[in-house]
This record gives sequence, structure tokens and C-alpha cells, in this order.
Amino acid sequence: MNKLPERPISMVIGALGGEGGGVLTTWVVRAAEMCRYPTQSTSIPGVAQRTGATNYYVEIFPAPYDALNGQELVMGLYPAPGNMDIVVTSELMEAGRMLENGMVTPDRTTLIASTHRVYSVVEKSAMGDGLFRSDKLDNAAQKLAKRAVLFDMSTLAEKEGTVLNAIVLGVIAGSCELPIPIEKFRDSIREAGVAVESNIKGFEIGLAYMNGEVTPPISASKKTRRTSLSAESLVANVLASYPAETQAIVTEGVKRLVDYQDASYAKLFLNRLEDILDIDRNCRDNSNSWILTSETARYLALMMSYEDIIRVADLKTRRSRMDRVRAEVLAKPGEPIRLTEFLKPGFDEITSVMPSWLGRPIMNWAHRNKWASNYNFAMRVRTNTIYGFLRLWILSKLRFYRPRTYRFVEEQKAIITWLETIKNAAANDYQLAVEISKLANLRKGYSDTHKRGLQNFNRIMEEVAIPSSTTKRNPSFGAEGLAKLRTAALADPEGDALEEAFKGLKALSISAAE
Amino acid sequence: MERTFAREVEMLRRGDGEYFEGEGILAITKALLQSGVSYVGGYQGAPVSHLMDVLTSDSKGLMAELGVHTEVCANEAAACAMLAASVNYPIRGAVTWKSTVGTNVASDALSNVASAGVIGGSLIVLGEDYGEGSSIIQERSHAFAMKCSVWLVDPRVNHPRVVELVEKSFELSEASNTPVMMEFRIRACHVTGRFATKNNKKPKFSMNDPIPEPEYNLDRIALPPSTYLQEKMKVEQRFPAAIQFIQENGMNEFFDGDCDDVGIICQGGLYNAVIRGLQQLGLADPFGKTRIPIYCMNVTYPMIPDEIKRFCANKRSVCIVEEGFPDYLEQALNATLRKADLNTTVVGKDVFPKAGEYQSEVMMNGLAKFIEGAVPKGIDLGPVATATKSVADTKAFAAELLGAPIPKRPPGFCTGCPERPVFSALKLVQQDPEIGKMHVSADIGCHTFSTLPPFNIGNTVTGYGLGLASSAGVKDSLKGHTISIMGDGGFWHNGLSTGITGAVFNEHDNLLIVMANGYSSATGQQQLPSSTAGGLRPADTVVPIENALKGVGVKWVKKQYTYKVGKMRKLIKQALTSSEKGLKVIIAEAECQIAKQRREKPVSTRLLKSGKRIVRTRFGVDEDTCTGDHSCIRLSGCPSLSVKPNPDPLRKDPVASVLNSCVGCGLCGEVSDAAVLCPSFYKAEIIQNPRLIDRIAHKIRTSVILKFLGKTETSEFNDEEASRIGTKMAAE
Repeated sequence: MNKLPERPISMVIGALGGEGGGVLTTWVVRAAEMCRYPTQSTSIPGVAQRTGATNYYVEIFPAPYDALNGQELVMGLYPAPGNMDIVVTSELMEAGRMLENGMVTPDRTTLIASTHRVYSVVEKSAMGDGLFRSDKLDNAAQKLAKRAVLFDMSTLAEKEGTVLNAIVLGVIAGSCELPIPIEKFRDSIREAGVAVESNIKGFEIGLAYMNGEVTPPISASKKTRRTSLSAESLVANVLASYPAETQAIVTEGVKRLVDYQDASYAKLFLNRLEDILDIDRNCRDNSNSWILTSETARYLALMMSYEDIIRVADLKTRRSRMDRVRAEVLAKPGEPIRLTEFLKPGFDEITSVMPSWLGRPIMNWAHRNKWASNYNFAMRVRTNTIYGFLRLWILSKLRFYRPRTYRFVEEQKAIITWLETIKNAAANDYQLAVEISKLANLRKGYSDTHKRGLQNFNRIMEEVAIPSSTTKRNPSFGAEGLAKLRTAALADPEGDALEEAFKGLKALSISAAE
Repeated sequence: MERTFAREVEMLRRGDGEYFEGEGILAITKALLQSGVSYVGGYQGAPVSHLMDVLTSDSKGLMAELGVHTEVCANEAAACAMLAASVNYPIRGAVTWKSTVGTNVASDALSNVASAGVIGGSLIVLGEDYGEGSSIIQERSHAFAMKCSVWLVDPRVNHPRVVELVEKSFELSEASNTPVMMEFRIRACHVTGRFATKNNKKPKFSMNDPIPEPEYNLDRIALPPSTYLQEKMKVEQRFPAAIQFIQENGMNEFFDGDCDDVGIICQGGLYNAVIRGLQQLGLADPFGKTRIPIYCMNVTYPMIPDEIKRFCANKRSVCIVEEGFPDYLEQALNATLRKADLNTTVVGKDVFPKAGEYQSEVMMNGLAKFIEGAVPKGIDLGPVATATKSVADTKAFAAELLGAPIPKRPPGFCTGCPERPVFSALKLVQQDPEIGKMHVSADIGCHTFSTLPPFNIGNTVTGYGLGLASSAGVKDSLKGHTISIMGDGGFWHNGLSTGITGAVFNEHDNLLIVMANGYSSATGQQQLPSSTAGGLRPADTVVPIENALKGVGVKWVKKQYTYKVGKMRKLIKQALTSSEKGLKVIIAEAECQIAKQRREKPVSTRLLKSGKRIVRTRFGVDEDTCTGDHSCIRLSGCPSLSVKPNPDPLRKDPVASVLNSCVGCGLCGEVSDAAVLCPSFYKAEIIQNPRLIDRIAHKIRTSVILKFLGKTETSEFNDEEASRIGTKMAAE
């Protein structure tokens, strides 16, 4: 008789609740049982089944029942760090969690993970960019695993019209880390009897990937935007006169503004940027890598292309947009779609397209009037109908008249003050100037979000940025302080963190004065 | 219900010479039938929901054949009170619930049944919801066993052994006239395995063969002087009888090992983890052959002094592996050894953590510490140290490579959940300066997730159905508003009596929102008295919540469909600012999306295949108008409302994006409307299998629209030209 194995094969599946980790576990377990291997699985569904991180644990003893001579196995219920043969996760951050918990070790663990991201609530709900930086995960996985199979199974599943866990099963089978013949996995899917066709398809794809017959789709890289004819000469200008490090962003800015308004508006952008570029040229000790020009170009272009209803109407009535929507909602050719837009204009939006002489007094009144500052009305526009489409299309044609609107005038004023402040600051403190330019990221969103961002922007400008830009002050009011305020402004919508940050600065200034 | 159990029901029918294959909790269910129970009751809750689900849904036919009465009890107290049947009559029964929360609720009945004693075997199956995956406060059921003098079985995880112990427990119960509690941890309930089945046993007395006469016996009544007698009986008769039975029937187990100068004593439920820990340290094999002797306590209360003495005699040191706090077993062990005048050193919560689950790493490290301290004869400590060190090193190395801790991923509302919009409305109401921040007395149910990001709504959670009751003390002591939340599950569990009648009686003036999604959803979508099951349940069997409310005297009752965020916000404000006195109740109504999808998806798939016109709705976000501030996500948190890298090279913040898992519940539109968020959301209704008229309308509309668009977009380069410029840029 052959000597019995020293230990069971241990496998943990890290998944998100509701993702089908349980089904995957059952497939594996049944396939093992069909081979007469003593197998045990367990899980912790509980509340985690509602979208939280959860795990399934499987032990397979790689010798058939009959070879045990009636001996009973004692199998474990918990995945054990340092004791795992196969670690499977359906998402990248969950793979990170397994690495963090010591489940992946170079002596024995095969790590199989899909590299797509499913963002957690905390990551998604940040007011700016709150995403977990996963760039170190790949390196960590390669170093810690005996063997790492990492690719985007989710995109592949979506492209092929199957489900992720079936692909994962194919990968597990194809990895040959389990002593189970491939056919048993197929039998297991068939025996489960649910969506057999699509699951088998996914399984075969996973298997084919392991055999090197499928290359996973590379996630689409950023599209270069089309350049209109009128932008071409301006773009050529940029390419001729701007340093290479800044060209991508400045070109993008030019294209954006031609698209937003016209070529002369884009020219204005370049004229405005000229002074900033000079600052960078003059202080070239080569350590700045033209950061001031790049960042100012970025936010200048964004500020100049603020979102008014003309812009929104314009973006919503483009052919490219209709194609994108169809692709996004997976409408098949020949399937008509009804498209409803949710617009809710208030006084801000209405006055934004009024001439300045009319808009200003109305806005001044509206700001003081409680009813008016909260007033808005719901507009549901069906842009797949001719009437609905025309309502927005005509609005988008008001573009020629935009420079005379109240909002345009106000925006330009703010831009000039902001640019002046950057220039002033740059004379004393380059880093401070960079921070002031980044401050413009607070001016985003619509209606209340926009109002709040604007308030925060104005407050930081008036209380800290403008005074610091003209006088030498306590360094905590410089770049560092400004960065803190900007981060705080994006920490919570209630403004508590910003209030705290301001208090912190005040305390500093008092202690500095003493 | 969350799943069907057709395959399991077939397993429950198996008899002599056959095998059962499946999860632990269903193995126990089968064991109940093999033990000849006459009745089974319980209240659903992870990890024992499946026991109830399988008996009360798909296996009704089998139950009728066997004459077993099954009851979906109103709560755990009701379930425990069912055991009264075994107080007077020689019939076996089992009840189940989630512990310790359920045992808390059941306590009144438990004390009384335990005091009166039973003559029919009575088993309480406890889902010990402790450790990873638990949804409740972390306590031990052990204390209940001690204070009520009922026996606690904690079987080692092995299907054949568990089934055997279930059968023994009924006998133990009868031999000692005491109910027996049997606890199963989460992983034990869900573990898969097999055992050789026996024929199901028809109970002697049951619905099919009724007991001829009722019994009257004052000794069984909880009134003095019977209660004094009952207490005495516990000590003088039942306790010794239990000890004798447990010992004679070998319910606890001894596993020998060659290093017998030391030993390990463990709770049965931890035995597998102990073996795995020893195996990792090189001291056990996969068949449980251990070098250190183990005394496995499948019965953790009462402790059997003779067995303890037998195991500890001639041992220098023993380690007690006992999960949770307080360390009842360690204390009892010390007392037992002291009384026996044995000098064996007891190690326990000094090498193991005092609190928390003993997962694999904790177990291995604890055992290693014990071994390193006790130095058993013939054991080389080198490999032990290496094993623990290598795990610690791997984790340290991983932490270094990862650079930062991996963010937590807490659970949340499902895609399309009807409860989510209520919290969007509550968040918005609080932004109204006339209302301001409120104290929210939250409750147990899926809606407890409101206390997590992105809503962060809920100041206290004090128990199932206690949302309203827990607002009583705080409501008048706070300047702002106090409101309460209760689910329909909690409402029927006890909220109606504990909360609502109390609030009416005491003339409360606050707002209660009842989340009526039609099921006890968090436990697996079991039906409730008010469930309509999407109209499938006969209307005359449904008890509407508003009838119950009116019946107990609530005058201000409004129903609101949850997805209408604007209306819900208005209604909440109306309730809070109303001059009308008395409790106000908003019934926030909409069916659990999981249940709804489960019912409707197959139907629409079928219709789609047969060529019928189906409109599929989903939402989307325009990536070029989204500015990446994520206000929408903070008001929703829907799993299908996510983010993606910003396709705009000028913007850095990720843009919102609706995933294909969207079920088109409409919240996105409602929220952007009610909160005046942004114009980026669109609703797309995709007409599948369009009719001729759909196609014609589409054709006409599209061609007209494209006529208008044609003029404006001709000025653009084609793709080749764009890439030519791109290459040129790169070259320069």
C-alpha cells in the first residue's frame, strides 16, 4: 500500500458576498468528491453575504476513501497562514487581504486572483480620489506566492458573456494544483444544473487561458480626444513652444477649450498660461519638472470650461455620447432605448445663461432669499425623442452667446484672481504657487456640491492663499498649510474637517506670534 | 426564502444503509428525525436558519408522514416555550435559534422550563454566532447553561459524531429531566460532510398518535413551594444523573498521546482546530493522532470531575483551550483540581488571548506557547519555534511589501435594496436647517447597515425590535429630534408590544419608521405575518402592519413607497414638524430586491427567450459631465454605483460609473433629483424584442436626430488623423 499523504490540500476562496463564491466552492467540492477524495468545506456567510468580504475554506485529502482503511480524518475549519496550497480571490484588494494575512507563502501557495477592482464604499465615497493604491500588490504577490496567476477575469467574463466564478474554476482546473481530472470539474458544473451552458463556457475560457490559448483583454487605455480643425494650429503652437513635460496637458487644454467654446477662447488660455510658463522657465533649476505649468494648465482649462447648462446640453446631444450609452447599457443592435435625463435647474443654472446685467441682480437677490436659494424644478428630458433631443440641442447652440452670460463673467474674474495669486506666490515660494493652482480642484460639481466647493475655495483663497502669496509668513501658512486645507475640504461634505484644519492653523499662528 | 432545499429533503428521507451528504446544520436536522422528535420550532437567524427553512418549507410532506409538528415561532421566547410540551409528556422536541441574542430573548421561558424539568427529551440547538462572520455582540451561551442548570453540549466537528451526540443528548435530557443545549459555531453549521443514516423514527405520541389525557402536576408549576423543590431537584437529582449519564455513555472523549506528562483539554467544537494547530507544529497527523494527550469535552457543562481527575493525574501541566470570555471552564478546572488535591499546573488564558475567536494562527501560537512553557518530554522545541516564527515573518514581509494596510470591506445594502432610499432621505432631511441632526435609534436587520459608511446613520442598536423602545429615555433629553427605526422582522418579533404599545401608552410624540420589505431579510428572506410574498400569499392570511398599528392605538400612520426619496423626505419632515400629538409611524414599504429578483428574473428570462417584448431598465452616468465629487455615492452606497478612472486626461478624481449589475431600481435618479446633485445620471430603458412600432419610432427618431448631429460633428478628424498627431507628439 502506498504511504498516505501527510496533509490535506488546503484551499481558501476569498470573495465578496453575493458574488457566487459558494457556488464555486460547491463545484470544487463535488469534483473532489467524484474522485472519492475525502473533502470538507465551510464558510462564513453571516452578514458578510451582503457585499462584504467573506471566505470559503476547502480541504481535500488527496487519497481516495478506500485507501484510508477506515481511518477517519480530522479536517480543519479555518484557513491557516503558512498552511495554504491554493488561495483564490475574485478581486484584487481581496488578494491583498490574503497576502496581508500571511495566507500566501513561497514554499507552497498558488495564488489565483482576478486583478479587477471592486471598490469598497470608503474608497468610492471619498470626495476626491480615495482609491486604494494597488500598484504594490503585483510585486508582493509575485514575491510571496510559489506561483501567481493574476489577470482580469472580470473583464474577460463580461466580454465573453459568462460569469467570473466559472472562469476561476477553469483556472483552478487548468493550474493542475488539484489532483482532479479536468472532466470531473465539467461534470460538477453539469450536476449543479444551474446555467450550465454559460458556466461551462466560462470554465473552458479559464482553462484555455491556463493553456496559453487566451490572452486576457487589456483594459482600454485613455483615449486621445479628437482634435478639431480649428484646434490644429494651436496644438502645433503648443508643440513648438512648450516643454515636453507639459505638452500633453496643455494640448488637452487647448482641445478642450476649442471644443467648449472656440479657437479664440483656447488662445486666451494659452495667453494666460504664458506668464506661468515664464515663471517655470525663469526658475529652472530643473527640480520642478514644470509642475507649476502643468498643474496650472490643468486647472485653468477646467475652470475655463466650467459646466453650465449649455455645456451639459452640448455633451448630452453628441453622436459619440449616444454610441457610448448604447455600449454602456449593453443594448444590442436593433434594440431601441428610451433615454431619460435627470435635470434639476435652479436659479444658479438659469442665471448662468442670462446676460450679466440681468443675471447679477437676480443672483444677488436669490442669494439673500431663502426660497430662491433652494428653488429648483425637475426636468426629465427624453433625449431619444425628437422633441426632447431638440430641447437640449437648441440649448447647446447658445454657445456663441456664452461670453456674455453672467456666469462667464464671474468665472473669468475668479480665474484672473487665482492666476494673479499664483504668480505672486511664485515670486517667493514655488511650492506655494503649485498648491494654489491645485486648490482649483475644489471648484467642481453641480448645485449644492458646487456651492460648497466654491465657498471652501473662496475661503481658503481669502484667508490663507492670497495673504500668503504677497507676504512672507509662517511656513505653516505656505504650501504645507494649503495642502492640509485642501485635503480637509475634501474629507467630508459637512465641512467639519476643514473647520478643524482652520482651527489648527489659527492655533499655529497664535503660537508663532507668541 | 433564500434557497430551496429539494436535494436536502431527499437526504432527510434516507435510512439504514444510506449516507447523508451536506452541511452540518442539516445533518443535525436529520439527527432530530432519527431521534423521534414530535415537534420542532425556532426562530430564524444565521447560522441556524437552514434548520428552520428546510423543515418548514420543502419538507412539509415528510413532516406530515412522521407526524412532526413544525412551527415558525414569533420569536425565541415562543420557541423555547414550546418545550413546555415535554414538561408534562414523554414526547421529544427540539427548538433552535441564534445565540446568544436568541437565548437572551428566550431566557424567561428557558428558566421556567429548566426549573420545572422535562420528562420528554428536549434539545435546544444554538447557533453560536461568535467570531468571524458573526453579526451580533460577542458573548458565550455557556453562562445560560450554568445559571439555569441545563446541560451544554459542544460537539467536536465531525458529522457522524455530531449525529450520535444529538441522539445521546435526547437520552441525557430524559435521564436527567433537564433540557439540553447544543451549540454549533458558524463554521460548524456550514461545514460539509457525510454520515451513515438511520431510519427516521416515528414519535410515539405526535399529531398522528395523540396523547390520550392531559397531565396535571403542581410540582411542575413555577410557584412556591414547587420552585423550592425544583431547585433542590436540580442539585440533588438532575445534576448527578447528568454526570452519571455523560460518563457512562462516553460523551466526552480521550485521545492518547506519547507525551503524557502534559495534556490538552478543549471544548469539543475546538478539537479540529487544536489538531490542525498541533499538526502545524509537527505534533499530530491528519487522522488526529496526537503526541500530546487530549481530553475533548463534548459536554462543557457540567464538567465531569472524575474524568478531569483521571486525565490530569500524573500530568505536570495541562492546557485548557476555551474560547471566549469569561473563562468558566478554566475556573471550574482549577476548582476541581484543587478539591481533588492535584497539583497539575493549569495553563489557559495566559497563553491564549482572553477574548476573540481561536482561529488557526491564534490556536497554533497558543499551543506553541504552552508547549514551550511546559516542555513535554520527548518533544523537540526547535520545529515548534520555527513554525510560529515563519508565519510571523511572512506576515511582516507581506506588510512591508504592501506598504499600507488593506482597507476593510464591511457589508452593506444589496444592489437595488429598498431600504437604502430611506436612509438617503434621512440624510437629506438632516441637511434641512429646520430639522438638523437627529438621534436615530436604530434596530437589528439589514437596515443596521445604515450605521456604516456612507450613511453613518444610527446612534444606538440595543436589540431586535427594540429601536423604538430604546428611544424612550433619550427623546426628551435631547434638543434635536429623536427618531426610531424598526424592520418588519423586528416589528413582529417583539417591536409591536415592546416598542409601539409602550410608546402609545406613554404618549410618545416621536417618529418611528418601519422598514417593511416583506421578509425577515437578513436571516434569509423568511416570511412574516405581514408578508405578501409579492402577492403570492393568500390575502386573507396576511396581517398588514397598519392594521396592527391602528389596533394598538396609533393614529398617525402613513405608508410610503421607499424609492420615492423626495416624497419620503417630505413625509419625514411632515411627521417631525406636525403639531399633532402622539406616535407617528411611517411604513416604508417596498419588497426586498433579492426576493423580487429571484421571483421575477426567471420569468423575464423566459419571456425574453420566447420573443416577448421586455423593457430592461438601468441607470448610467455620463463620464464627461461627472466632475468626480461622488456626492451621489455618499447618498447611495449601492454596489452597482461605483467609480472608474477618469477618462478625461485633465481630471484626476475618479468618475462615478454604473456597473452592469444595476437592476434599475431608480434610486440614482431619485437621489440626483431630491438632492439636486448633477445632470450626469441618465435612465436607459432598453426595449428587448421590440415590436414593429418600437422599431419604426426608433428609426424615425434616430434619423431625424442624426440629421441635426450630422452638421455639427463633421468638423472632427477621423481616428487615423488623431493617432497621427499623437505619434507626432510622441516623436517630438
